[in-house]
This record gives sequence, structure tokens and C-alpha cells, in this order.
Amino acid sequence: MDQTQLRELESRCIQEEQPFCTAACPIHVDVRAFMAALAKDDVCEARKILDRTMPFPEIVGRLCDAPCRRACKRGEIGDPLAIGRLERFCVSRTGPMLKLPKLPAKGGRVAVLGAGLSGMTAALDLARKGRPTTLIAPDGEIGGRLRLLPESDVPGEALVQARKLLEGYGVAIVTGGPLGGAIGEFAARLAGEYDAVYCDLEDVEMAGIPDPLTLAVGGGNCFAGGGPGADSGFSTIKQVEDGRRAALSIERFLQKVSLTAQRDREGSCATRMATVIDRIPPAAEIRPTDPAGGYTPAEAVAEAGRCIQCECMECVKQCAYLREYKEYPKTLVRKIYNNLAIVQGTRSANKTINACSLCGQCTVICPHDFPVAELCRATRQEMVDTGHMPPSPHDFALEDMRFSLSEACRLSRHQPGHATSRFLFYPGCQLAGSSPELVTRTYEFLAEKLEGGVGLMLGCCGIPAHWAGQHALFTETLDALRAEVVRMGRPTVIAACSSCLAIFGEQAPELSVTSLWELLDGLELPAGQGPRPPAALALHDPCTARHRADLRASVRSLCAKLNLAVVEPGFGGALADCCGYGGLMQFANQPLGEKAAQVKAERSPGDGLAYCAMCRDNLAAAGRPMAHLLDYLFGQTGDPDPLARANPGFSGRHENRARLKERLLARLWQEEPMPRPAHAAMPLAMSPEIAALLDRRLILEEDVRKVIAHAESSGRYLIDPATGHRLASFRPVRVTYWIEYEPADAGYRIHNGYSHRMRLPEETP
Amino acid sequence: MTSFSFAETTAWQCAGCDLPLQPAEVKVSYLNSVFNVELMVCPGCGFVLVPESLATGKMLAVEQLLEDK
Repeated sequence: MDQTQLRELESRCIQEEQPFCTAACPIHVDVRAFMAALAKDDVCEARKILDRTMPFPEIVGRLCDAPCRRACKRGEIGDPLAIGRLERFCVSRTGPMLKLPKLPAKGGRVAVLGAGLSGMTAALDLARKGRPTTLIAPDGEIGGRLRLLPESDVPGEALVQARKLLEGYGVAIVTGGPLGGAIGEFAARLAGEYDAVYCDLEDVEMAGIPDPLTLAVGGGNCFAGGGPGADSGFSTIKQVEDGRRAALSIERFLQKVSLTAQRDREGSCATRMATVIDRIPPAAEIRPTDPAGGYTPAEAVAEAGRCIQCECMECVKQCAYLREYKEYPKTLVRKIYNNLAIVQGTRSANKTINACSLCGQCTVICPHDFPVAELCRATRQEMVDTGHMPPSPHDFALEDMRFSLSEACRLSRHQPGHATSRFLFYPGCQLAGSSPELVTRTYEFLAEKLEGGVGLMLGCCGIPAHWAGQHALFTETLDALRAEVVRMGRPTVIAACSSCLAIFGEQAPELSVTSLWELLDGLELPAGQGPRPPAALALHDPCTARHRADLRASVRSLCAKLNLAVVEPGFGGALADCCGYGGLMQFANQPLGEKAAQVKAERSPGDGLAYCAMCRDNLAAAGRPMAHLLDYLFGQTGDPDPLARANPGFSGRHENRARLKERLLARLWQEEPMPRPAHAAMPLAMSPEIAALLDRRLILEEDVRKVIAHAESSGRYLIDPATGHRLASFRPVRVTYWIEYEPADAGYRIHNGYSHRMRLPEETP
Repeated sequence: MTSFSFAETTAWQCAGCDLPLQPAEVKVSYLNSVFNVELMVCPGCGFVLVPESLATGKMLAVEQLLEDK
């Protein structure tokens, strides 16, 4: 990722855009933070927020005409916040909390002619920037028309404070010359004497209209602003805005840089912020019991508490991953960029990058389609390519994929009695691992119903490698699959898994592919004879069917034809959550994977129905009774209740895949299965707790058997004389497995298992 | 190179040598890093015990640290 890509991505996330009030405020007061502080009854913190942006808070905080109020999002659900009244509450109960620094004195003498609020603001801002500033007041007094206001609007003390503040920053306040008729001449003289001049049009009349962006008059060193607006109305905040704008122009002028470049965010500006208000109850404005006295502290807390703290965070609200890592896309992309840039040191975001499920829900939610999934996936590939991908997050899943592709599981055959195939049923690795019997029944049904020969292919589409950023392995896997489809005579692939479908669609568009569901929807359905659900089931779409409305519609049509009542969970269809398997999330961050499954399960209170084998198994593991659609299509009398089926676990998946191939070969093609390794026959006994522990620790029964076979044949194991338990280790490839066991009956009883990647001296691999 | 001791009394004995395990210095390695650590080892055949608490605790933490280097 380079800087340009970083900036492009950053700009698509709007979470850091200004909230509507701040964008509307000509001086961009952080109203949201101000409200948050007041709602917590922290009036001092609220004052600090005003002090940071507002010149003369004692004055402006009392008189601001609050254009922000019109932009307040709260106005769409009740009344807009009484921002002006809350500011008045704040400044009437606090003194200055923050003294902004004065930069070191530098050259560039500035005269401010006229001491209304705009002149005062320009003088204050310029003095803070270190410019020697002279404020010329017509009669030696500052404030202009503010002085005419009643004490109740702005106390005289506020002007005394303002004068002290200006003098504190070194502003010389002098009595002015002739501010009447000969003003043009006087200003011209000042322009000769000073490096720059600002005329406050409240106190000074002047020919010529200032440029609205820079407030420059006549292209020289003279600037002007303030006073009544074009509509002759007098806006307090407009005075401040002009004074500040002029000070910035003068600073640029003195620095001899562009007066106009990049000033589009000064003054009231647009914001791209998006805040969803659907679930926020309306609330009316809190009005002070004593209007003249203003809010009581309790009233102020209540009114500020109505602020909805506008932000976007729409993706974060739904995504377990972003919540877990406390990121929103903009911070995530920065973190990833920095992680990639590390040459020496800890790449602390590796786990974050590998934990995303790549499901793409956030992109659908995002008003600007922020591509978190593609960002994380491409980053993984970059990490693999540069040798910085840690081995542990993906090793197990990639080994699992290799097993699905090995001779033990892979298969491709034309239908018995056919030399060619018009169709090719491709159930995918996880359905084979989860429900081998359903794969067999589905295949036999398709072979019977479809004309022209239905071949069968068992294997894996390579998506785990794609998710892991292993581009070479993925390409090799998909190329082999493609070649096999060509060898079979380019039949139409009937894919049962929406992940396979996504991969074929994106990466092998030349293949003729259809989804099992769409195909079944066009056939006369079998009457499923198995147990039926007692109540309507929540239909859980898989994340990989997000962009397949056609497929999802077929699934619903199938449910209707089966008289299977379903309810739609809160987030389904294009917004479906991932079950925790996607992107190999559950391997990179196991607890997060479990959390994701929980979130998906809890989108609906009832038992569920899935048509992705991983969703089925992960939601079942999360404790939610969950059936697969094929259970009701191809169920048979005497089948156990599909809703009660447990997650087979990783060992169960391996065994299911291998046995599926063996049984299909024997039953349909009358072929002898490949001999299994000798240790495969070793009987193992273990409690369900130990089986679950091994599954959590990603230790397969296959590994357990290897450890014991190695220990028993070499005699190298430890023994606990008190219990008779044995403890042995073996490192087949990159992981050392330790198994505590004892001989029992004809086999072994397993008591514990754990593993490590660190290598011991006697281990060679 | 500093050596850390993870040796602690254990009920496990070497079955082949019929000997109790004893603390000994062992070189363990991961991803181009080598550490000297003290573990319980069979004095006869050199069988090294990695107890569960070590494998799932400190050792796992160090592995993950090295993976992110």
C-alpha cells in the first residue's frame, strides 16, 4: 500500500468528518464534545472546549446567534439543541479555563482599524500568532455596538476581561484618528506605515467590497470585514468569523504564501457525516423554568443530554471484528499502513489484519463502500509475499484444505454408466465434512433427475488459501480444479457452497456454474421424510451469498415449497453476518470467531436454518439448534432430528470427508478404497470434554494417533507411576503435539492434549 | 544468552530409562531464534518434558511475539 492508496481509502471513511453543528459553526466549535461535557455535568471541561476555539467566550458565548442550531440533527427527532442557551449557561458559571499559547514574536506589524468584535478577534488572533498588533479604537474603547447592549445580555465586566486578554497578548490599544469622512485617507496612510491593515467595517466605512474568501480589498495589504452583513442584519458570529478569516489572510500575506489555497473548510462548510437516527426516540427541548435566569445546572445537564453525539460508526455497530479491535475503517487502514511500514520491531497489527472475516458486511453498510475485506485480504497477500505472514493463524486451515485436496478425499467421476457429464455436482469441502450422508443423497437425486450425466467432484475451491493471502497456493488449487472440469468435458458445475460460488464467479468466470439451490428450485422436489421442525426457523443467509439475491430467493422458494416456515433474522440477505469461519477469523482469533457466531445466532431468537455448512456447524457450536436446508429436502424416516446435530469438530470433518469418498467409491463405482495408514485403525476413547478440548486446541485425532503410534513403537514416552498415564510427543511437520493417554481395551484412552510450535533439540522438522 | 528455568518437580518419569527427570539446560528454537531454557529432562536418553502450563502459557506467548517480529 502506498500513501496515495492510504489517502484514498482514508477519505472513504467519514467517521472523522465534522458533526453537522461543528461544520455549520463559522469557527467550528466542537459542539459535540461541549454537549458531552455538559451532559456529564462537567461545566469546566465544557468551558475549555469553548476557550479552545472561541475568542472572548464571555462575549461570544452569550451573544452567538448559533447558526449551528439549524443544522442540529436532533431537530429531525424532536427540537434542535438549545446550543446558544447552553453556551450562555456555561460562560456565566465559569471563568477562562484555558490560555492559548502566544507564538514567539516575529515581524510584520499589523494595524486593526476599528475595535468592534471583528477587529477585536483579528487583533487577538494576530497577537497570538506573534504579530505586533495595534488595535485602533475610535474613542479608545473596544466593543463597538456591544457597549450599547444591556448588562443582562453582556455584562460590562466581559468587555473589561476582553481588554485585559488583548493586552495580555501584547495588543496595543490606541485611540483612533479621524474615523469619519477622511477614513480612506487615514487607512491609506496606515497601509503605508504598517505591513498590513484590517478595517472593522462596524467602526469604519470604506469604499470597495472585500473579497469574500480572503477579505482582501484592492489587492494590496489592506483587508476589511465585520459590520452588518449584506442583508443589513448584525450577526455576532459573523463578526468573529470575519475577524478570524482576516487574521488568517494577513498571516498568509505576511508569510508571502497563497491567500486562497485550501480555504474551503473555513467558515460554515459542508460535511459528509452520516448519522442514522432511526432508533433514537424523539425528545423535546428542555426550557428553563426561569427564562431570564437561564438554565439551572440540572436543566443544562438534561438539555445537553439530548445531544445524540452525531457520528457514523454504522459498520462498527454491526461488526464484531471492528468492535473487538476498537477500530473504524479509517483508523484500521492507518494501523495497517503503519504495520506494513515496520522494518524492525513488532508488527503489532498482524493479528488484527488476520482476524477480519472478509465478509464485506461493512462495505454494504458504508455510505462510501469502504472495502475493509479487500484491504485486509490484499494486506495478507502483501505480508505473505514479503515473508512477514506469521505461520500460526493459517497453518491449520491450510492443512485442512490440503487434506480435502489429498487422495484421501478428492474425487472426480462421471456418473456410473456415463462416459460424459452434462453437470458436475460440487458439494464443497465443508458440506462433505459436515454432512456426508446429505451429499450422497443429494448426488443420487441429481443423478436421477437430470439428463445427460451428472458427474461428482469432491475437493476444495481454494478459498482458504485466498483468504490467507497465499496467492500461489490459491492459483494452483483453482487451476487444478479448472483443469479437472475441462477434462470432464466442461460440464455445468452445480455448487452447493456459496463460498465456492463466490470464488468461481470472481476468479473463474469462464466456468459454467449454477447454484444447487437455483437448480433444485427448478426441479420436482423430493418429499423430505425426516423429522420436521416444531416451529418456524430463522433463515440464516451466509455472508458469501451477500451479492447473490437470486440464490437467496431460490432458497426461500424452496422453503415455501417444502412448507418450511421461516422467519428473517434482523440482519440477513445483503447484510448477513459471518459465522466466524470466513476469512479464517476463527483460526486467527478463536474467541472472536466464537463471538461472531454468537452475534449471528442472536439475530433471531428461535432455532435456525442454514444453507452454508460452516454457518450450520458454527451456529450449532454456539448453542443454537440449527438445521441445514438439505436436511429437510433429503431427510429420511428414522433420521435423527437435524436441529439436534452437534458440530462434528475438525476431526469429525476429516473423518467424514475421507469416509464419504470411500463409501461413494464402493457404493456407486464399485471401487476399492485406498488403504488408510496403519495407525488410522487405532481405537481411541475420550470423554466429550477431552474431544472438545482437542478440537479447540486444533489437535486432530489423526495427530493423536501419530503421537501414540510413534511413542509405542519407539518406547519413548514418560510415565506417571501413580496413575499409569503415559505422556508422549511427536512433531509431524511444524507443530509438536503432546498426548497424555493410557492403554485401554484394544486401544487407548486419551486424558489430555496440547501443542507448541517451538522446537526441542531432538526434533528435526 | 540468558537462561530461564522452567524446571519444576514432576511426577513424570522416563518409561524407557526408568529414571526420574532432572533439570537440564536445553536449546529450544523458533523462527530463527534460539533460547537456552532449563527444563525437566531424562538424564538417560535426554527426553525433554514440556509441561502443559508452559506450552499453553509462556511458550505460546513467546511464539506469538516472535511471529510478529
